[in-house]
Amino acid sequence: MLGEFEYVLITAAAGLGEGAYGAAIREEIEKVAGRRCSIGALYTTIERLEDKGMLKTWMGEATAQRGGRAKRMVRVTPKGISAAKEFYEAMMRVSRNASWARGKPERSS
Amino acid sequence: MSSLAEMATILLAPKDRDAVLGDLAETGAGRWSALRSVLGLVVWQQVELWRAWQPWVASCVAFAGSFLLLSVSFGLSVNSRHLLRGERGYGSVLCAALLMLSWAWTSGFVVGSLSGKTRWVCATLCAIPCLSCVLRFQDTSVSRLCVLPFLLPGLVGAVQGVRRVRLSHRTALTLAIAMTALMSVWGGMYMRNWFLFLPAWWLVAHRERSKLSNRKAGA
Repeated sequence: MLGEFEYVLITAAAGLGEGAYGAAIREEIEKVAGRRCSIGALYTTIERLEDKGMLKTWMGEATAQRGGRAKRMVRVTPKGISAAKEFYEAMMRVSRNASWARGKPERSS
Repeated sequence: MSSLAEMATILLAPKDRDAVLGDLAETGAGRWSALRSVLGLVVWQQVELWRAWQPWVASCVAFAGSFLLLSVSFGLSVNSRHLLRGERGYGSVLCAALLMLSWAWTSGFVVGSLSGKTRWVCATLCAIPCLSCVLRFQDTSVSRLCVLPFLLPGLVGAVQGVRRVRLSHRTALTLAIAMTALMSVWGGMYMRNWFLFLPAWWLVAHRERSKLSNRKAGA
């Protein structure tokens, strides 16, 4: 099963679609998940997911904004989609009785 | 972004350099922040490599194997001198030479095939005992380089391992059996030497596993 950050990355890349590349995924994670995402964590996880066949990457176009350097484009593969779906469903099942998932006020200990 | 960060990208794989520097330029990272990000990625990549068991096994084989093979090479050199003086028969020296070649080759092959991107660590771990032994060598009757002949077959094995040269199950098994038989003939059944058989039998086990998984996939 995927790790939490792997799931976040796949979801961000899938959401960005054709525009998914390193900096855009990083920005999306920081914006949506509200957590800091280092370049180290991002690229290492992309590499690992690519090795597992869940992502496909290739070098894209270079822009002036990037100092003429190419982007590393990312696409989620069908295997990545099914792994993310499996993770999501598992989290849903695990959370079904949790007070925060059912909208009940949390009991204090 | 600083040229320091650009210089630090030498530590990254070529395909990562452009992407990382471009991302940093796009996000307007400052000089130190860019340098920290690049170095952070280098550390992350190294940590990621060492999360697998393969580099650990390769490092152990490289380090312990070179220690043992140094003494095997030394013993062989001394025996060769005895052979030239007629104090020893051809048989035992030939056995020892063949064993040294096969031990070094199989160890190198296993290290090469398991180390992957950590091969520089394995090379360092092999070089440390070699250098230390050569520098501290005190026997004046033979050259200090006599402890190093195992390096050549070991290096050949390592290069073949890195290149993923395919070794058939039959070849691996024949090699392991031949090595074991040679050792019984030679009479070197010491505990120490058994470690040197592990790479050969590991190759057999690995080939056996690949054969079984191929059969399963075919069924």
